[in-house]
Amino acid sequence: MTGSALTALAPYIVLTGGVTLMLLAISFVRRGPVTLALTLAVLLATLASVGFAAGAGTQLIDGFVLVDGYAHFFTALFVLAATATAVLTFGYVDRRAAQREEFYILLLTATLGAMTMGAAAHFGAFLLGMEILSISLYAMIAYPDTGRPPLEAAIKYLVLSGVASTTILFGMALVYGETESMQFDALAGDGALLRVGQGMILAGLAFKLSLVPFHMWTPDVYQGAPAPVTGFVATVSKGAVAALLIRYAVTTEVLAQEALFFGLSLIAIVSMVVGNVLALLQDNLKRLLAYSSIAHMGYLLIAVLAVASAAGPEMAAETGMVYIVGYFAMTLAAFGVMTVLSTDEDVEDLADYEGLFWRRPLLAAVLAAAALSLAGIPLTVGFIAKFYLFAAGVEGSLWLLVWALVIGSAIGVYYYLRIVFGMTRQMEAGDEAAISWWGPATVAILGLAILVMGVYPTPLIDAAREAIRGFGG
Amino acid sequence: MTVPVIPIEHVLALAAALFVMGLVGVLVRRNVIFLLMSLEIMMNACGLAFIAAGAKWGQPDGQIMFMLILALAAAEVAVALGLVLQLERRFDSLDIDTAGELSG
Repeated sequence: MTGSALTALAPYIVLTGGVTLMLLAISFVRRGPVTLALTLAVLLATLASVGFAAGAGTQLIDGFVLVDGYAHFFTALFVLAATATAVLTFGYVDRRAAQREEFYILLLTATLGAMTMGAAAHFGAFLLGMEILSISLYAMIAYPDTGRPPLEAAIKYLVLSGVASTTILFGMALVYGETESMQFDALAGDGALLRVGQGMILAGLAFKLSLVPFHMWTPDVYQGAPAPVTGFVATVSKGAVAALLIRYAVTTEVLAQEALFFGLSLIAIVSMVVGNVLALLQDNLKRLLAYSSIAHMGYLLIAVLAVASAAGPEMAAETGMVYIVGYFAMTLAAFGVMTVLSTDEDVEDLADYEGLFWRRPLLAAVLAAAALSLAGIPLTVGFIAKFYLFAAGVEGSLWLLVWALVIGSAIGVYYYLRIVFGMTRQMEAGDEAAISWWGPATVAILGLAILVMGVYPTPLIDAAREAIRGFGG
Repeated sequence: MTVPVIPIEHVLALAAALFVMGLVGVLVRRNVIFLLMSLEIMMNACGLAFIAAGAKWGQPDGQIMFMLILALAAAEVAVALGLVLQLERRFDSLDIDTAGELSG
């Protein structure tokens, strides 16, 4: 391994070192603020090392991981999301668990897994990243020691995510048996077993993205998991899978096979429709957001499918990146508001949000911005993201998908506006539990990000374009 | 001396059979311990398929993947058994359906 390879791996090395350091630190000092400060320091150092690592250029390391602009882009995104989650969890976890320090270590290892998935160029790295992320998430979901739902959600997630992982693994073995290679760029070939294997890999990934018909676990896990963890599962876990899926589709050209392209298109359309329709029926905000996330992952598949269309891999990847960033901001903001409001028990019934504008104007404004952005209203990042998908769909002549996007969004407006209107209902301010300043500050920043990226998206688009220079070539 | 060679198709067929058995187990069993055992069978089926593929190409990669799978299965089961202990101690049940508070 050369020096420049080590430079390129700097973010991964810093984060791994940070986890080790924290494991040692909490065996001496068990104090929440210290652990949080260390976590934030590790995350900041990782973020700083991304800039340093970018200096080494694109590095394919032992054919295992491809550290390029694309990987760095997602590393930065995951680290920022983890930072927001870490701050939001402070004060949340310690009311629900006797010891909160390990939670931050799990948060860091989950981020490490997600980063690895963003850079994976080989089945081995794919597998390791995916499992480091998943196993950390099982423990994070079950972390609170109050009540049964978190435990139940964790077991459900463990079993179903395990099935998805093994499906992917079996698919990998079949592909390897046909192609003599496990590197993404050498998986070309033709054969029945190869096609079955690739289909199994895509099905497993669809499971992890909770696309219809593999979505059954999503509402239960969203509801049972503690609010900040739900936000993390919804963003970082799905973002990592989506990042890997786009790279996989671009490098292996797997979607050039008509059967798989058709199957994935069908999954996308059904997800958009089913997700949005079922979201209409929900009275629980977590379940509503779960179904909405199913629809959003369906939208995101347009970017994945555009890889194999006339739009081309570069435009597809750019669309996917912009969409994922927008989705991160709005989803984290929505779950962030929920976390801040959940002082004792998770506040998740839609009825509990009625009149929020009169009780907590700032939090209500952020949740409204997130809901409007998820609906794709102009001046929010959700609009930019959806516009990108629309453009990629039109460019690639994916007309059915574009129609499904339009219809799905139209249905979606109803339930997103229902949240907003509920919050404006006139209500007298009662006695409100005191909340500390850092939670509202974090969600305010996320809310601002939604608006700023919605009004002035140029920096985001430039960053995405810069990151994918030479991508797939 | 000739070494008898097992055709890869046979091994893959065995792996596929194991995989399906595990999958059926996950779908029909309601006891958490049995769910985990079924999951374990599925993982080992994947490992077997990797070893067969590695043997076909004469590469060590298949066995390396199997070792990764073993490590992952161990990690997953460690977390899972922790959860099972909690479930048993706090709710006196190993069934994932009884008294489930999450709807659907």
